Amino acid sequence: MEKIQYPEEVDLSKFQTDEPNEVYYGLPKKVAFCKKCVISNQRPNSAVEYKHTKDSKKATIHFDENGICDACNFTERKRHTIDWNLREKQLRELCDKHRKTDGSYDCIVPGSGGKDSFYASHILKTKYGMHPLTVTWAPHVYTDWGWKNFQSWIHAGHDNYLMTPNGRVHRLLTRLSTELLFHPFQAFMFGQKSLAPKMALLFDIPLVFYGENEAEYGNPIGDTESAQRDWSYFTVEDKSKVFLGGVSVQDLTEQFGVDRNDLQPYLPADPTQIQKKGIEVHYLGYYLKWHPQSAYYYAVEHGGFQASPERTPGTYSKYNSIDDRIDDFHYFTTGIKFGIGRASYDAAQEIRSADITREEGVALVKKFDHEFPERFADEIFSYLSLPDTEFPTASKMFEKPIMDREYFRLLTNQFRSPHLWKFEEGKWRLRHGL
Amino acid sequence: MRKVRIIARLDIKGQNLIKGVHMEGLRVIGSPAEYAHKYYQQGADELIYIDTVASLYGRNNLSDLLERSVENIFIPLTVGGGIRSVEDATRLLRSGADKVAINTAAVANPGLITEISRRFGSQCMVLSVQAKSIGPKKWEVFTENGRERTGLDVLEWIQKGIQLGAGEILLTSVDREGTRKGFDVDLVRAVAEQTTVPVIASGGMGNVAHLVQVAKEGLADAVAMADVLHYERLTIGNIKEEASSNGIQLRKYAKS
Repeated sequence: MEKIQYPEEVDLSKFQTDEPNEVYYGLPKKVAFCKKCVISNQRPNSAVEYKHTKDSKKATIHFDENGICDACNFTERKRHTIDWNLREKQLRELCDKHRKTDGSYDCIVPGSGGKDSFYASHILKTKYGMHPLTVTWAPHVYTDWGWKNFQSWIHAGHDNYLMTPNGRVHRLLTRLSTELLFHPFQAFMFGQKSLAPKMALLFDIPLVFYGENEAEYGNPIGDTESAQRDWSYFTVEDKSKVFLGGVSVQDLTEQFGVDRNDLQPYLPADPTQIQKKGIEVHYLGYYLKWHPQSAYYYAVEHGGFQASPERTPGTYSKYNSIDDRIDDFHYFTTGIKFGIGRASYDAAQEIRSADITREEGVALVKKFDHEFPERFADEIFSYLSLPDTEFPTASKMFEKPIMDREYFRLLTNQFRSPHLWKFEEGKWRLRHGL
Repeated sequence: MRKVRIIARLDIKGQNLIKGVHMEGLRVIGSPAEYAHKYYQQGADELIYIDTVASLYGRNNLSDLLERSVENIFIPLTVGGGIRSVEDATRLLRSGADKVAINTAAVANPGLITEISRRFGSQCMVLSVQAKSIGPKKWEVFTENGRERTGLDVLEWIQKGIQLGAGEILLTSVDREGTRKGFDVDLVRAVAEQTTVPVIASGGMGNVAHLVQVAKEGLADAVAMADVLHYERLTIGNIKEEASSNGIQLRKYAKS
C-alpha cells in the first residue's frame, strides 16, 4: 500500500456545471425524495463493513412506483398488517425455550444504554422473565451524558460487560476509515455488529437480541420477514478477505505496525462456531412494535435516562444516538456523501411514527441538516491525528499524520459527489432540496 | 400570607396539545381547547399556553387556536411561543391572552421586554426561562424548547430581565420537565430570593408533595403543571385539597 497523500483541492469545474456527469458510490443519478417522509433515494442500505473499501458501491433504499420509500411502506405494515399479538406470542415461545432457571444468563442484549437498548434489556428482564447479560462496545469518546446514561442502564438492574478496544488501534482505524472511506464511525460499527455474537460464543449463551431491524429505516423490506439477523453482518469465513478502515488485515499488520492481536476485537465471528453452538441473533423489533419515542419514555420512567442537554448538531433531536462525540461527524460525513443530513434521518423516523407531520419534518430538515459539527471538532481532529510519538510506524504511512481543520476541509471535498453538490458563489450547496 | 396559584400548563404544537420529557420526545395528547376547558372547570387559577415549536419552525403564534380556546374560560391566560415583536404580542392580547411569555426572542432582543412592558404594563410581560443545571447552584438559560444553549447564567439573566421590565417569571427546569421527579427546588428558591416579581415554578411535578415543597422551600408564588393533569394522574381538585391540608394557602375556588 502506498503512503496516504495529503488531499488536493478538488477540481471545482465539475461542481460548477449545471450538468454534472459524475455519480459516486453507485448512487442513483436522479435524486428523489419519499412522498411520505423526507428521506431521499440516495440513502444507502446497511453494508457489510468488512468488505467496505474505497471502490465499494452502495445499494440504496427502494422506492415503490408511487414514490414511497420502503421504510414508510414497512411502517404501514407495522400499523395495519402485522399481527402484533401473534408476534408477541412468538416472543414468549422463544423466551420460554431459552429461559434459564439455574442462575445462568439466557440471552445477550448488546447496547449502549441509550433508549433502545435500555428498553430491550429491561423489558426482557422484567416482563418476559429473561436473564440478559448486556454487552457494550464502547463509543470512541463518550459524551458526559452518554456515560451517565450507560451507568443508569446498569443501575436499573443489568449486568454488563463493557468492551473498550485499544485506543491507539481504534484511533488508527478511525483515521483510515475517515481518510479512505469518509466513515469515522466504522470502527464502532465493527463491534456494534459482532461483539454480541462473539460474547455469545464466549459465554455459551445461544440467544442474542438486537433492537429494531434496520429495515425500519430502509433496508430491504424482505429483511423484516425474518426475526433473525443476517449472518453476513457478523461472521466471515475467510479472514484474509477482511478490510478494516478500507485496509486489508495484511497491510495493517505489515505496513501500519499493528499487532494481529490488536485486531482481535474487530474481527468477525467464525460462522462454523456460530452454527455449532446454535447461536441465534434475533431482532426484538420483529416481535414488539418498535417506537423510538416510546423507548425514550420507557427509559426515562424505568431508569432515569436523560436526553442530552443540547440538541445534536445537524438535527433538532436530543434523545437519539447521543453517546459518542464522534457521532456528530458520522452524520456529517454521510451528509457529504449521500446528501442526507442527520435531521433528515431523525425527521423521517418521527414522521413515520406520526410524532411529527411531514410539513414539520421539511422545516426541520431545512433548518438543521448539514450543519457543521463544531462542538467537538477540535477534539475529534486531535483524535484523528497520529503523531509519530504515539504511532511510530503508522504515522510514516501518511504524508501528513496530523489532522487539522484544513486537512478535514480538503478531505471533505474529495467525497462530494458532483451529482449532489454544486459550488457556486464560493459556497457548497446541495443541488436538490425538499 | 402568600397565596399559591395553581396553573395548568398546555404546551402546543400545531393544532395539538403535546407533552415531552426533558422537553424532548413530544407526544400528542389531544385538543388544547378541550383540555383547557377541563382544567378551567376543575378550578385552575390560571392557564399557560405555550407554542413549543414556534421558534423552532420559525412560524407564528397561536392567535387562531387561542380564540377558539378561550371562549368560555374566565381565568387569566398566559400565552407564549414565537412572540418576536410588540405586534405579535398585541395580536395575542387581542385574541384573549392576558399575559405574554417570551423566551427565545427576549434572549435575542432583550429590548423587547422593555417595549412590551412599557406598552402593556409589566404585569403583562412574563419572562419565560428554560433553565438547565450546569453545576452546583448554577443554571444556564436555554431557548427553543430546551434545545439551544445561550451561555447565559439564569440568575443574572432574570435579574436583567426584571430591570428591563419583566413582571413575572415562568421558570422551567429542563432537567425535571416531564420526569415527575419533583421541581428543581434549589433553582426556584435561588430565583425567588433575588426577585420581587412572582415566580412560577414549572417542570417536574409528580405529586402534591412536590408542590408543597416548591411552595414552602422554593418560595414559588405559583406552580405550573402538565404531566399530572394531562395523563389524569391527579385533578386540580385533588391537588388543591391536598395542598390545603398541608398548609399551603390557595386562592378560593369561585367559578362563575
